[in-house]
Amino acid sequence: MDPVVNTRTARWRSYLVAFLITALIFATALYASNYFQNQRIQDVRATEDDISTQILSTETQFDLLTQHSCSDVSENTTLPSEMTSLGSELSYLEAQGGNQDEITRLKSLYSVLEIKDYLLMQQLAQKCGLKPVFIFYFYSNKGDCADCEAQGDVLTAFSEQYPDLRVYSFDYNLQVGALQTLISLDTVQDKLPALVINGKTYYGFQSMDAIQKVLPQLATLQKSATSTTATSTKK
Amino acid sequence: MFVTTILTYSLLFVSLYFEIFLLVAFLERHFARRNTQSGATTLSSYPSVAIVVPCFNEEKSLGATLASLLALDYPKDRFEILVVDDGSRDNTFAIAKEFEIDARVRVFHKENGGKHTAMNLALAHTNADLIGCLDADSIVAKEALLRVVPVFGNETVAAVTPGIHVKETSNVLQHMQNVEYRLSVFNRFMLAALGSAFITPGPFSIFRASVVRKLGGWRYGHSTEDMEMALRMQSEGYLIGNAPRAVVHTSIPRTLKHLFNQRVRWTYGWLRNAVDYRHMIGNRAYGNLGVIVLPSALISIAAGIYFFFRIIFELGQAATHAFLKYQVTGALPHLAFDPFYLNTSMMWFLVWFAVALILVLVAAGSFIGTGKRNLPLGTPLFVLFYSLLVPLWLGTAVVRAIFKTGVQWR
Repeated sequence: MDPVVNTRTARWRSYLVAFLITALIFATALYASNYFQNQRIQDVRATEDDISTQILSTETQFDLLTQHSCSDVSENTTLPSEMTSLGSELSYLEAQGGNQDEITRLKSLYSVLEIKDYLLMQQLAQKCGLKPVFIFYFYSNKGDCADCEAQGDVLTAFSEQYPDLRVYSFDYNLQVGALQTLISLDTVQDKLPALVINGKTYYGFQSMDAIQKVLPQLATLQKSATSTTATSTKK
Repeated sequence: MFVTTILTYSLLFVSLYFEIFLLVAFLERHFARRNTQSGATTLSSYPSVAIVVPCFNEEKSLGATLASLLALDYPKDRFEILVVDDGSRDNTFAIAKEFEIDARVRVFHKENGGKHTAMNLALAHTNADLIGCLDADSIVAKEALLRVVPVFGNETVAAVTPGIHVKETSNVLQHMQNVEYRLSVFNRFMLAALGSAFITPGPFSIFRASVVRKLGGWRYGHSTEDMEMALRMQSEGYLIGNAPRAVVHTSIPRTLKHLFNQRVRWTYGWLRNAVDYRHMIGNRAYGNLGVIVLPSALISIAAGIYFFFRIIFELGQAATHAFLKYQVTGALPHLAFDPFYLNTSMMWFLVWFAVALILVLVAAGSFIGTGKRNLPLGTPLFVLFYSLLVPLWLGTAVVRAIFKTGVQWR
């Protein structure tokens, strides 16, 4: 390369070109980020559709039970691992930001699916003598729940340990009719985190030991061999 | 949160913008060759040249430095070497005296007073047209002087800097510095092409002696006389060129402690000199240097420190969460790959782009300095770790500059 020297004249054209390129890079980064976020939203929507179809299928199966044996239905018909991993994905989407209206819609649908799954499992339990184990977990992510993150970690660890444990996590502040009805039926107050276990509501952080104590049915569930299932209990 | 986000993206924008500006200017020059003048590469006459070797306790490296100078391709009667022993306490003076057997070498001894005093002593003892400096830990390539001198054919050029390369890379830290030096080759070249060089580094920068005398010789310059002189020249309207193929190999710190001390001195000197020459910052009268180069150099220090603390904060948050999770669940974190959770935030895309840009600039530096586009061996380590080291000396230098503590050479 030859030696170089030049006058110091400001190169306004180069400034402008560099500015436009930098702005273009920022715009591309924003577009790419939104693109992948939308892809995730579509993935979550597809999973919700799948779960919705499965629940509908199980409901239909349940209606047909008069003609069929309970042996066709099992406790994990609606795949709790899928439900919990969906919750985890929604949490991640929410933390990433982006289209919050769409994410809220997906969360609302998720909450409804959780409630439907719970109702269906209760019906199956009565009809077929199954013994599903439930935990309702109410959280808030408005910054007013210091212990929600730790509580979520504890429930995630339980879900990993017991793949058949059904942890239903609900955003307490979500304005969904079915959810608000559930909250009033269980008379859950806004002292979060709150857990509903065997019909009783527990407020504040509950350790693993405390939960095991009030949920002896955990011992009846099969433990995970690998404990690698991703699950959601929301921060 | 909103303020943090705005600040983060603003600093990222400015940092990227400056590098892209340099790259655009490089590509414009590379393809169009319209806006910059290439210095001439042939000589019709040979100006007299004095190379000063200021030294303080340099007994280990001085011999090789002087031998490389004596081997320079340049008419013997137009070239002299002035070794100035700046109060060494080792055998530096005796070793230098051994070289006086060559008529081109003159050796001086003085009380220790700093590099600028050694340079001024040499200036007072020479009538050469051009006066250069070569740190006693550096070695010049045989044709280096012949590549520098023709640039002075342009009467407004007051100084010319060389292409500085690393002398040896024997450990990981030196490999990382080697990459940084390649990047510096690019930056030095482009800043000269934009008329905005603001450092005339110790290894083999050559000055027009008449200009140096007119400006009053070298000053202490907060232990960075090479920056002070360059800024003074720019301030007085002179130009500084760059001859990247005038190759100089220089010693670099082997340990983190030495690197830290060296870089604190450089950054401290830059900040204190920036205060002294603040009239140039943002001043359109100084062209690219005032409008974009000096402001960007200052902002880059702030950005380096900010991003370092931000990374530390986020790593701290992640570590705290992992610890609290372990406390409540007893479960250790496990690795599980799920493409759904790949970080595709805008910030990450920008970080990836910035990394790619650094690689391009290092390759450009290699091309300018060596004619090959190869990335040095230490490039991955440089990208991964060096940016975490830099804020250590940036932060220290900023604090010391605020409190005007001064810095030592060693």
